[in-house]
Amino acid sequence: MERAAGGVSYQRFPRVRIRELKDDYAKFELRDTDASMANALRRVMIAEVPTVAIDLVEIEVNSSVLNDEFIAHRLGLIPLTSAAAMAMRFSRDCDACDGDGSCEYCSVEFHLAARATDSDQTLEVTSNDLRSTDPKVCPVDQARAYQHALGGTEPFDTAAAADQRGILIVKLRRGQELRLRAIARKGIGKDHAKWSPAATVTFMYEPEIRINEELMETLTLEEKRNLVESSPTKVFNIDPNTQQVVVEDAEAYTYDDEVIKKADAMGKPGLIEINAKEDSFIFTVETTGAITAYELIMNAITVLRQKLDAVRLQDDDADLGELGAHLVGG
Amino acid sequence: MNAPDRYERFVVPEGTKKVSYERDTKIVNAGSFTIEREDHTIGNILRMQLHRDPNVLFAGYKLPHPLQYKILVRVHTANQSTPTQAYTQAINDLDKELENLKQAFEDEKIRYEERPKQGY
Repeated sequence: MERAAGGVSYQRFPRVRIRELKDDYAKFELRDTDASMANALRRVMIAEVPTVAIDLVEIEVNSSVLNDEFIAHRLGLIPLTSAAAMAMRFSRDCDACDGDGSCEYCSVEFHLAARATDSDQTLEVTSNDLRSTDPKVCPVDQARAYQHALGGTEPFDTAAAADQRGILIVKLRRGQELRLRAIARKGIGKDHAKWSPAATVTFMYEPEIRINEELMETLTLEEKRNLVESSPTKVFNIDPNTQQVVVEDAEAYTYDDEVIKKADAMGKPGLIEINAKEDSFIFTVETTGAITAYELIMNAITVLRQKLDAVRLQDDDADLGELGAHLVGG
Repeated sequence: MNAPDRYERFVVPEGTKKVSYERDTKIVNAGSFTIEREDHTIGNILRMQLHRDPNVLFAGYKLPHPLQYKILVRVHTANQSTPTQAYTQAINDLDKELENLKQAFEDEKIRYEERPKQGY
């Protein structure tokens, strides 16, 4: 162990550039690392960053048209604000409640009571009707509506109004009633997708596009136009001043090889070369709203480091290895 | 009915060590690490980091079976090193890289949030 710590290091120094950063969306460039690290981050963001979701539902009264299991399943899929999830305990590891999974350290309790009064109007029960015992953990739409009420920067518009209606759980007609108690717990997406904080996380390799200018000179304007149009996405364009084919948006390339096939069909193999850079990745992160995109990225790095710590050798294993090497050497 | 519980994919059973090492009995400086309850996330970065160590002659990993929630990482090193040394070195380097990445994100977020002010 000591020798390894003092030895040379093969560490890399990745670089990051954020292009877009909103509450539920981020786009950034990751450089100077390789695909295994990028993919590990992607996998951790999707399936191993913990969030809070409803996990147990006790229904006291349900005279709606949906059965208990259906409503329980819909409740579980509601994203809950989970900024506090990293500090919570997993129910199975909690010693305060002896594994019950119902104490304040590892769970949050919700209540819902809705009854359609004598009116012909259909009552829509939404996530806004859920009452949480912990203000840090509440349905995502409630948190957004609350921020808006506090004077959010975005102006009021139809989209915002629609967003604040909450997530529909069930509709009640006259006389129908729904009353339940729900317990939300910490979990990871590997257990159930309801705990995944990511709507999607993708990355693409940055393409490196090189145009052979000598071969390009032998093309007529019509041939250049056909070449540009052969790509299903708008990657190339013709410069109106110089009549040259230029790269307009390299990242629009979808690695479909269409433009290369077109060049081959025109009898100009090698006209355009497109390779994926193996150390540059463009990430797109979209969250459900349970945590912000920035928190998702930072939590993923923290979780990945925790996993690495977990797979470290214990001292006895290291000693055995050293002893074995010593025996062979001696 | 007979499907395994989902938590078995990431909870190490009691009495089982998370990581165990088994020396190869036929080749010197070679051995296998059995890592319980891990998958391609850890296996791939570990393997690729081991490849960057010039003392490592061979590094690979496999999942024996989808229902066996573990990975076997095989490492073969030159005489100047041992599999346990290379393994520990790889984990240390990955941890430092992630620490560096976290700092890069924190710095970049500050730069990104201050950018519009410079534009004014």
